[in-house]
Amino acid sequence: MTTMQPTPTPRLATVHAGAADAGARTMIEIENLDFFYGASQALKDISIRFPERQVTGMIGPSGCGKSTLLRVLNRMYDLYPGQRATGKVMLDGENIIGPQVDASRLRSRVGMVFQKPTPFPMSIEANIAFGVKLHERLSRADMADRVEDALRRVALWDEVKDRLRANATGLSGGQQQRLCIARTIATRPEVILLDEPTSALDPISTARIEELLDELKRDFTIAIVTHNLQQAARCADQVAFFFMGELVEVDSAGAIFTAPKQKRTQDYITGRFG
Amino acid sequence: MASQAVPAAQPFGALSRAAPDIGLERRRRIGNLVATVLAGVATLIVLAALASILWTLLSLGIGGLSLHTLATVTGPAGSNGGLLNPIIGSLIQVGLATLIGTPIGMMAGIYLAEFGGASPLANAVRFVSDMLLSAPSILVGLFVYLLLVAPFHHFSGFAGVAALAILVIPIVVRTTEDMLRLVPVAMREAAAALGAPRWRVVVQVCLRAARKGLLTGVLLAIARIAGETAPLLFTSLGNLNWSLSLNESMASLPVTIYQYAGSPSDDWVQLAWTAALLITAGVLFINIVARIGLRGQDRS
Repeated sequence: MTTMQPTPTPRLATVHAGAADAGARTMIEIENLDFFYGASQALKDISIRFPERQVTGMIGPSGCGKSTLLRVLNRMYDLYPGQRATGKVMLDGENIIGPQVDASRLRSRVGMVFQKPTPFPMSIEANIAFGVKLHERLSRADMADRVEDALRRVALWDEVKDRLRANATGLSGGQQQRLCIARTIATRPEVILLDEPTSALDPISTARIEELLDELKRDFTIAIVTHNLQQAARCADQVAFFFMGELVEVDSAGAIFTAPKQKRTQDYITGRFG
Repeated sequence: MASQAVPAAQPFGALSRAAPDIGLERRRRIGNLVATVLAGVATLIVLAALASILWTLLSLGIGGLSLHTLATVTGPAGSNGGLLNPIIGSLIQVGLATLIGTPIGMMAGIYLAEFGGASPLANAVRFVSDMLLSAPSILVGLFVYLLLVAPFHHFSGFAGVAALAILVIPIVVRTTEDMLRLVPVAMREAAAALGAPRWRVVVQVCLRAARKGLLTGVLLAIARIAGETAPLLFTSLGNLNWSLSLNESMASLPVTIYQYAGSPSDDWVQLAWTAALLITAGVLFINIVARIGLRGQDRS
């Protein structure tokens, strides 16, 4: 298996009108996406672009479809029968919701971090090696380097370097979540999806993860679902507001929070509902 | 109710609060006392029964417990025999039955928890397994008798192992399924999100997360079959002579108790009590180990 570094494609970048940085290449482009849980439609005709190496924040009230969209991007919905997506989700010119796409390979390119920290019941080291081993064969020394690099990137190395063999479930909640992020970036994805990654954490751990996002977006394209509007304002370059399965508005974070074009967006960010 | 005061007019905005109802409070206190006493009496009855059993076993069994008893083969009444062959026979039959029943039960449990879901086959397997769990063990003994004893015209250790293994399977199936279902969905999704195929998620993550619970299930199954007598009466029968051959009838502690306890000979009765003490101590030990294992599961 080759490494998963982003490769430039000849396709010209065309960026959604009003989106954050008009110069950035589009990493993921969604066109007319519909999503169904059995008979009920959770996403309606979504079209949005995720600019490369930027943070896209996804906000909206519970049940609006933002997490569902995230789970389309790595085909997490494949795990459950009865869930299906139609439309186009283009990643490097390939429609990733097409039937020919190998979900396992896709997930090595599009990593995901969940709401609650989910360390595996094994050592800190083995937690990180678990994902890497699925896609690459590394020598012992290379694996050790990969583990160290991943832990350094999430600023966890100094805290755990003397107990890499210790069980990961012994770490604090904030450390566990940084370990989960390290585990994800160790497989060298191009895109990282974060589903409310700080909602189970204390304010200090939350701040550390937000700082981390700034570092990570140098190398990765990031999509983050959050209920915390301040977090979206602080971290995201582009913000998308979802409501009842529809994408109401997507714009730069500054524009969404200071001059939303849609009344529903304004109502939501001023706390009139949700 | 008599003491209930009519609330006076409250200033605007203040919370209205009824005056304390003395009658209601007294009834609550009495109800509480009655419930506590009843629960305490019930607990005492259970503990008294248990303590009485353990005391009887200890006081009557400990007299026969000696190195001689543990190291000598059973013999005719009055010959100063021991319990060596029933002890070894029980260890062999329980050990082999666990070795055979555990992997089968675990794989079936994994199928039920991870792959079968609510499919008709899974529901059928679950139903049959639960039936087997509550089936009288003497039926299992008869079943194996018809299958492995009658056609060969002799009792055998193999048949005893088979009967005990059949008792192990449903216990392990149930604990395996229950323990795997306790593994959080988020953990499975996290493993899948890294690109792990389903079997790897199950083997490397879910089984690991549930390993202490699985071990507990196996230990409980061992504790259950260690004292089983009925299925062995039809299968391995018991053997008063020294024999390690699984193709012959084989001694075991429960069957020895059954044979010795009603005998007119005092030394056999003494050995029956000692054998009972040995089984109880063994099962108690396994239960304690299982409990410590479960406590560890809660922590991690």
